[in-house]
Amino acid sequence: MIEVKELTKKFGSKTVLNGISFTADKGQITCLIGINGVGKTTILNAIMALTPINSGEILIDGEKIHKESYEKITFIPDATIMLPQMRISEAMQFMADFYDCWNQKRADEILQFFRLKENDRISELSKGNTAKVNLLLGLAMDVDYLLMDEPFSGIDIFSREQIANVFSSHLVEDRGVIITTHEINDIEHLIDKVVLLDNGVVTKEFNTEEIRENEGKSVVDVMREVYQG
Amino acid sequence: MSRYFKLVNFELNRFIKIYLVLAGVIILSQIAGVILQANSYLRMASEIINVEMLSRSEFINQYGTMSFYQITQSIWFDGPIALSIVSLLIYVFFIWYRDWLGKNTFVYRLLMLPTARINIYLSKATVIFLMVLGLIALQLVLLPIEINLLKWMVPLDFRTDMSIYEILMTNYMTILIPLTITEFIINYGTGLMVVFIVFTAILFERSYRWKGILFGLIYGAFAVVLFFMPMILQSTILYEFFYPLELLALHFVTGLIVMGLSVWVGNFLLNKKIRI
Repeated sequence: MIEVKELTKKFGSKTVLNGISFTADKGQITCLIGINGVGKTTILNAIMALTPINSGEILIDGEKIHKESYEKITFIPDATIMLPQMRISEAMQFMADFYDCWNQKRADEILQFFRLKENDRISELSKGNTAKVNLLLGLAMDVDYLLMDEPFSGIDIFSREQIANVFSSHLVEDRGVIITTHEINDIEHLIDKVVLLDNGVVTKEFNTEEIRENEGKSVVDVMREVYQG
Repeated sequence: MSRYFKLVNFELNRFIKIYLVLAGVIILSQIAGVILQANSYLRMASEIINVEMLSRSEFINQYGTMSFYQITQSIWFDGPIALSIVSLLIYVFFIWYRDWLGKNTFVYRLLMLPTARINIYLSKATVIFLMVLGLIALQLVLLPIEINLLKWMVPLDFRTDMSIYEILMTNYMTILIPLTITEFIINYGTGLMVVFIVFTAILFERSYRWKGILFGLIYGAFAVVLFFMPMILQSTILYEFFYPLELLALHFVTGLIVMGLSVWVGNFLLNKKIRI
């Protein structure tokens, strides 16, 4: 389980996150929702120790993040984080060299699934294919937790569908996923849990199945209540 | 440890093309320098001997022989060395900033590797050090080739031969290629220390951005003062208190302290303060 407890983050005098707390379980897809600038990416960066926090605590399976943690949790940002001059095959080789949890068989499967060519250079790919390479490099790791930052942002509808299909496949099954997205419609039916953020705090945290069964509301209905009500 | 070596290998490969170009420029420019200068000397000798009707010995008496010293004083020889030094100095900064620059933020990947983050720091420093040593080694291989080329081109009467030792004794060459192991440790140990100080200053900037520039400068100044502390003490309150050898030993100790401190602070910044 990923536990975020009382997370506070300031940029200069501006408090971006003001005591954020939530949990994300293994085997579930947790979605962080909020308007731009609310600090969704900062939360993911903080979980991965990519930005310092002012106070609070983040635990992954009860432990603070350490070097071995990167073999069981990975982050797929919305920008390319591999060298652009690399071919996809070289990027995969890099991952195989550095990560014990790299699963080449799965990487080949995803390569086929996304119809990517391993000899293509990352810098020459379209935005959609770049996002797919990012996903490939994250999903092919045998990790327990996946963090994804806006995987649908600015890409075409067909790529979006392909990526959405990944969430219902065995590639994500049994893992804990935290995802930030604006495009809630693409994956609303796949999300297990939603954390709504506004003004640096968690305004609502709910289980999608429960709210659907008990109150007959969709995620978008609850979002309307919280943000517009 | 194996990931450290993998990182060193990876970082080397990232710079290898520019590095090979640099090596190529050194080889071509210095060899061309020997050929051009030898030719120009021989042409001048031939013209003067023919026009002024001088004998060989009269010419040599008046105009002197040619030696490798003249080669080392030319832009063909110094230029590529200066270019390499400037390139590597720029690369000390670029080796970090390239990971943050542009749309492709490779620093994400580096910081998420399942290895101690200090290995990123140490591997980058190792690469800079290896590249400096590589160019020095290249120069050492090139020197005998260039000496023999000069011998082959300029007849014995017209030249004064210099041994590699004599060439290395000339001005800046003794700094680049020291003649004793002690000097080597002093020169290159100091160089490595400076690389560590700059790396840590860069990490201050990467952690605190604008404020970090100030922190980095303060850290750099503090580290330099700490390193020179024995000399500062010697010339102020402890006037001529230490023997030269003691002073050297003290600098060795302060140098090691500064290196250790830089790595420790760098490790702290990479683990606790760094921002992507």
